[in-house]
Amino acid sequence: MIVHDKILLENVRLLEEAKSLHDAGFISKEQKELIKKELPAFKSHGNLLVRLGFFILGALLYSSLCGVITLAALSGIEDSYFKSCFYIFTVIGIAGAELLSREKYFGHGLDDAFILGTILNFGIALAITTDGNALLIAVFVAAVSFLLYRRYLHLLSLLVFCIASLAVLFYGLFEMGAVGQSILPFIAMLLSGLFYFITKKINTVLKKKYYHDGLLLANSFCLILFYLSCNYLVVRELSSNLLGAELTAGQDIPFSYFFYAFTFIVPALYLVQSLRTKDRIMLWVSFFAIGFSIYTIRYYYSVMPVEIALSLGGLILFGIAYFSIKKLKHNEAGLTFKPDRINNSPAFLNAEALIVASAFGLQPEAKIDKSPMEFGGGGFSGGGSGETF
Amino acid sequence: MNKIDAQTTKELLERNLITENQFQEIASYRNLNIFSLNIELKMLLYLSVLSFTSGVGILIYENIDSIGHIAILSILLIIIGVCFYYCFKNSVGFKKHETTFENPVIEYLVLAANILTCIFIGYLQFQYNPFGTDYRLATLIPTLVSFFCAYYFDNKNVLTIAITGLAAFVGLSAVPQDLLSGGIFYNNQFLGYSAIVLGALLVLWTIYSYKTQLKTHFNLIYLTFALHIVSIGAINNSTGYYGYGLWLIFIAVLAASSFYFYKISHKLKAISLFVFTILYGYIGFNILLFRIFEQIDFSDIWGIFILGLPVYLIGSIVLFIKSIKSFNKEIAL
Repeated sequence: MIVHDKILLENVRLLEEAKSLHDAGFISKEQKELIKKELPAFKSHGNLLVRLGFFILGALLYSSLCGVITLAALSGIEDSYFKSCFYIFTVIGIAGAELLSREKYFGHGLDDAFILGTILNFGIALAITTDGNALLIAVFVAAVSFLLYRRYLHLLSLLVFCIASLAVLFYGLFEMGAVGQSILPFIAMLLSGLFYFITKKINTVLKKKYYHDGLLLANSFCLILFYLSCNYLVVRELSSNLLGAELTAGQDIPFSYFFYAFTFIVPALYLVQSLRTKDRIMLWVSFFAIGFSIYTIRYYYSVMPVEIALSLGGLILFGIAYFSIKKLKHNEAGLTFKPDRINNSPAFLNAEALIVASAFGLQPEAKIDKSPMEFGGGGFSGGGSGETF
Repeated sequence: MNKIDAQTTKELLERNLITENQFQEIASYRNLNIFSLNIELKMLLYLSVLSFTSGVGILIYENIDSIGHIAILSILLIIIGVCFYYCFKNSVGFKKHETTFENPVIEYLVLAANILTCIFIGYLQFQYNPFGTDYRLATLIPTLVSFFCAYYFDNKNVLTIAITGLAAFVGLSAVPQDLLSGGIFYNNQFLGYSAIVLGALLVLWTIYSYKTQLKTHFNLIYLTFALHIVSIGAINNSTGYYGYGLWLIFIAVLAASSFYFYKISHKLKAISLFVFTILYGYIGFNILLFRIFEQIDFSDIWGIFILGLPVYLIGSIVLFIKSIKSFNKEIAL
């Protein structure tokens, strides 16, 4: 099913490992270069900016191909063309993706444009054919994006597949009427839990390693969905927005105690479990889940004014962090505060300064009421002060 | 995660791409089963400082009349004093080169103390006007405090506050949101001059600190601010109609600064500088083109123009990609 060369796919993993070993300082630069030379690789771009540039180029190429066909067709047939043109575009997209993949493009940017464009055009085509039947669109988009993932191992298609499958579940139960709608959160919870364990199990016994990233993505998606499916805020807002169940004061949604408990127990569970199993993705999900749970409560009950909540929250957070650091500081193995040689991500720490500057940067006070000349003068005197440093 | 990485390492060994010794070393490191919470805990500290200081800020703003002024000011002063006392006691003192603290908490306590100082002086100024009605003086003092803290405690976060303070003193808003939306000038061409001068001074300061080896790791921050301030100032002034070809001078300034930052980004191997330099240079080039097209009668050549536009767009994207690729290749050397 996969169009790509299996040996090259294995090499992708080996090269990544060599890179992280080099970053960790286990192997020398020359050795890394040697490994790079030794193992043939795809035409791909690790740099996101370059990949994005090629993605835009690919999108331009794709749309101009579609434009040429439309121009040619416009002179002849009229109405029926518009009904079918997006299917033609889909076929162009598949042809382009196939061609590029056979030329060993993988994660390059150009191939991304064609693969995602295929899904988009197919979705539009279905929307026209089915007069906007959401369930049918979701089913077919899920099917196509899954096939594209299987053929090109394209991770973004897999993400589309996950979202589309969720939409299938959602619209499917929605059309079943009152029963379906009321069990929607529970079904979503059960299914995401089930698929979480299935994907996790498969990933541990996996022989074909190039599916690892995809399974991990699906696994994380299930993790997030599991929390959101029975979060009180999500359930309540969905039921009032989509089902039109207006809640008056003093009323609450059915099983509200279950949802409340769920909203609080699951993030804590994630946190404990992630620290026990040393699962970094789950840890980050648990952070976001805790944040969202606090937001959920503050959305419905104003426990205390925001400024007190912020200050107190800050103090509590500081305490937690301070004591955890104190406790973990001298651990040499297992849970520790020492930076890991492998899997370091300094990218976040660079963003820190930017956030400080955005949040607390000083801004000039009252400016309008002075004449422009004074500002000019201020500029030069300010310059003088800069020099004294 | 760990298991699959270990298998991959083994495969590297089987293909004779790493030596047995290296493999043993890696395996024994992996067997420590390290799960580092370094980044996560630092982020928690950081979040706590941000939320605490914003909480205090809002608290003062909301209750500016109800709680006594003296009470607020003295509480703030006590907190600031405690933070600074702790920091000074545990710090290693001023060093010319990059220093790291044994205790990461200090870094964030310095930040908290600094932000609180800014709030304190802002409040003092609002209530008692100790610096007269000139707000510029009131921004200068937190700026000086921040510069001192940044250099003494070697703190990059505080340095960014200091630089935005300096820009505010000049009358510019160098806060990233405003920089991105280009709204720092309020359509004022004289601020453009100040911006260019300030940026130039920041660049001079980096050259000076490079020569004296004074905290050279701060240079990237200075240069980032300088790049944005100068480029946006020049672009702002070259798009306005202030008469008699003045725009040409600003285009020249932009060209010169782009050239300088192009060189310096290679030297520092900083892709963030490089990308923005290219973008600003490209914008400047387009302004130049636009100004030239203004002089030409369009009725004759619009056909060529329409046809040429897509080619021009695609060509510029291709050039952009090529330049980034070659930059990456260069810094990998």
